[in-house]
Amino acid sequence: MIAAARNAATNFVDRLVRDYSGLVVCLIAVFLAVFIAGMVTAPNFLTIFNFKTIIRDAALVGIMAIGLTFVTLSGNFFLLSMKETAALSIICFATSMAAGYGFEISFLLTMVIAIAVGAAQGALIGLGGNPIIVTLGAAGLLFGLGSWWSDNLVVSFRRPHGAEWLGTGSFLGLPNITIAFILIAIAAELALRHTAFGRQVYLIGANRAAGRATGHENFAMAIKVCIIASVCSAFVAIAFSAQVSSAHVNYFSSEFGSSGDMTIMVIATVMVGGNSIMGGYGSTLRSSLGAIFISTVDNMMVLHGFNSGPRVLAVGLMIVFSIIVFALVRRGARAQE
Amino acid sequence: MQALLELNSISRSFGAIRALEQASFEIREGEVMGLVGENGAGKSTLVKIISGFDDGYEGEYKVDGVQVRFPTPARAERSGIAIAQQELSLIPAMSVAENIFLAGDRVPLAATKMELARRAKPYIEQVGIESVDPGLAVNRLSVGEQQLVEVARLLAREPRVLILDEPTAALGERDSARILAMVRKLADGGKSIIYVSHRLDEIFKICTRITVLRDGHSQEPRKASELDVHSLVESMLGRELQNMFPQHTPVERERPLLDVRGVWPDSTVEPFSFVVHPGEILGLAGQLGSGSGDVLAAIGGVGETREGTVELNGRNFMPRSPKEAIAAGIAYCSDDRKLDGLFLGRPVRENLTSPAIGRFSSYGLLGRVAERALALSNAEKFTVDIARMGTEAGLLSGGNQQKVALGKWLAIEPQVILVNEPTRGVDVGARAEIYRKLREFADAGGAVVFASTDIQEITGLSDRIVTFYRGMQIGEIGLEDINAASVLEQITHPFGPASDIQEAAA
Repeated sequence: MIAAARNAATNFVDRLVRDYSGLVVCLIAVFLAVFIAGMVTAPNFLTIFNFKTIIRDAALVGIMAIGLTFVTLSGNFFLLSMKETAALSIICFATSMAAGYGFEISFLLTMVIAIAVGAAQGALIGLGGNPIIVTLGAAGLLFGLGSWWSDNLVVSFRRPHGAEWLGTGSFLGLPNITIAFILIAIAAELALRHTAFGRQVYLIGANRAAGRATGHENFAMAIKVCIIASVCSAFVAIAFSAQVSSAHVNYFSSEFGSSGDMTIMVIATVMVGGNSIMGGYGSTLRSSLGAIFISTVDNMMVLHGFNSGPRVLAVGLMIVFSIIVFALVRRGARAQE
Repeated sequence: MQALLELNSISRSFGAIRALEQASFEIREGEVMGLVGENGAGKSTLVKIISGFDDGYEGEYKVDGVQVRFPTPARAERSGIAIAQQELSLIPAMSVAENIFLAGDRVPLAATKMELARRAKPYIEQVGIESVDPGLAVNRLSVGEQQLVEVARLLAREPRVLILDEPTAALGERDSARILAMVRKLADGGKSIIYVSHRLDEIFKICTRITVLRDGHSQEPRKASELDVHSLVESMLGRELQNMFPQHTPVERERPLLDVRGVWPDSTVEPFSFVVHPGEILGLAGQLGSGSGDVLAAIGGVGETREGTVELNGRNFMPRSPKEAIAAGIAYCSDDRKLDGLFLGRPVRENLTSPAIGRFSSYGLLGRVAERALALSNAEKFTVDIARMGTEAGLLSGGNQQKVALGKWLAIEPQVILVNEPTRGVDVGARAEIYRKLREFADAGGAVVFASTDIQEITGLSDRIVTFYRGMQIGEIGLEDINAASVLEQITHPFGPASDIQEAAA
């Protein structure tokens, strides 16, 4: 009887580990551990208000991480221009709002620029440019443009304005930006799993040469994934600008998360989610959960009064920890075969 | 005579799969022991256990009659067991001598290049490449010579048992012959050698005894002189192999299906032209570097070409990418499945449908049901284990990987299949299956063009042969004139004995 139960239990664990979702289960287990730790040590941790704060804090980094995940999964590594794309976008959006063009026009204008920026970087990468070098160069260019355009000043626009619903609005008690994060996370995951494009992302990421040999060129892919990442950056920039009714090129270099650098936070999020840095393995769901995880730990440390030094350290530790855990779990899953 | 190595009742399982079951193995001093079996029979697992890469086994392992257990390859090496793996572990930019003493534990800390060269000399001689300068960078050598340097590197560690795992898999005839000569020489010098190979002719040429593995079970080692190819294959498969090569069916040569007109790959001396008809299997014969594979890559849209076109269905064009070739109904399967034939980290199912995503998606959405059906029918056609459709392709054995790499092309319902080395590193049973599938494809009205350095394969499978030599197209051999001698002559010294002299001079 006991033996049978134990057997069933081992089978269950085996199946969880072998299954793709086993990895997510691991992540959830770690979540739970962190939650319990938070609950025991910080009295304010387990309030609905705080919980909402965690998700809201995760939303902006999370949306950008989802965009970047497409680039990483397709084997095109990382874009080091994430925060600069956001910087140029926020200046563009705020300037347009300040000039009185209204939300729709400002949004479209910003998106058109983001798409152009993404397509240009993607084309260079697709032609064989090293993603690190291309996007490092693009980062300087975009930041410079944004800084020049705004004279390095804060661009502000007056309330009430047409973007408030996105910045500070809420629906059924949930901030709209949180809802946007959840919707984007679901849409991205569905796109990866159920569209021809998603399949190509995985195949090209798993083996670019074999991808080419089976008719899937990285040139078109690099352009598409870079556009997705840029558009996500621009969306986050718009949402943030809508929240604070202003813009400055340095917003994404100083205001975000514990480390203060949005690009680093976004890359950390993709890594903590356990996505393969070489491409071909992972998912946007992992990045979304990674964002919530980092935000949870960060939140707990804030409640305990840690300042930014230890919090940056914690993000670093989370990356190392998750790389090790995911590597071990994946090896375990393979040994089962 | 006491065995040098002795393994008794070795069992090893991975999850539900039993890779070895009560298998035994032995080797004596100065003996060349052939280790053969189909892909997935347990050869790799056994070799890993012997060389210390895997110690998760049950059973008894003795060296000189003393029980041992090697948790790491380094420990096995200390007991005198060294392995040359299929993937070379040389550092390309370093010299031959430096590579030989890479570990650095058998030379003085501050040895000069001359000192290293002097010390490397005896090992270089042992493997039979005396003519190679020990100071030369390894990447200047041929693949075969690199393989020999790898062995020399192992010899520098003075092993008693040397394991060679498919040393000739990537080599042409000439380099293979050098490897075989080296094995004989080492055995005569008292080394024991475990020789793992799918090339049975080699096994018979050099092995004293042969151990056969089948489904994880071992058979008593038998003297090579008491066996012939036929009985060996039978004991590997557990059944009689009727015919390695399927029957030729008559080809109607009215209108060619694919007309290759002056296609000139960058790497060859001259442009190539040939035709292939519906229902025909055309063999491109040539040694490594003859250009026969390059022309296939060019037609497949992979390689660079200077000029030329192909005509398919009355359309005259030149594919500039595999995508264009696929759209036209041309499937090209390269000779290196790990490089561009497989998505190793992705499931078998996704591999099998990878060139044909458009066929089971509408409005950009994947049709999961249609995909499963397509993958399943492909898997069944190529007898890939359908229980493992969700497994990562990288976890399959070499033979099954090749079946997936080739089988995926059926998904696009091609008119022409181009294959470079259709059975490299594939066991006898899987080879026969691949040949049968190619024949079935041709019988259904398709055309197959394959390039191979394997004479047996070229002569057995082709309906017609075009021969190549050093980037030049030499001649054509019709079905009735196909025999090993005629092909060999054209691909080794097509211009008469004089060319041999030129070669010797070069």
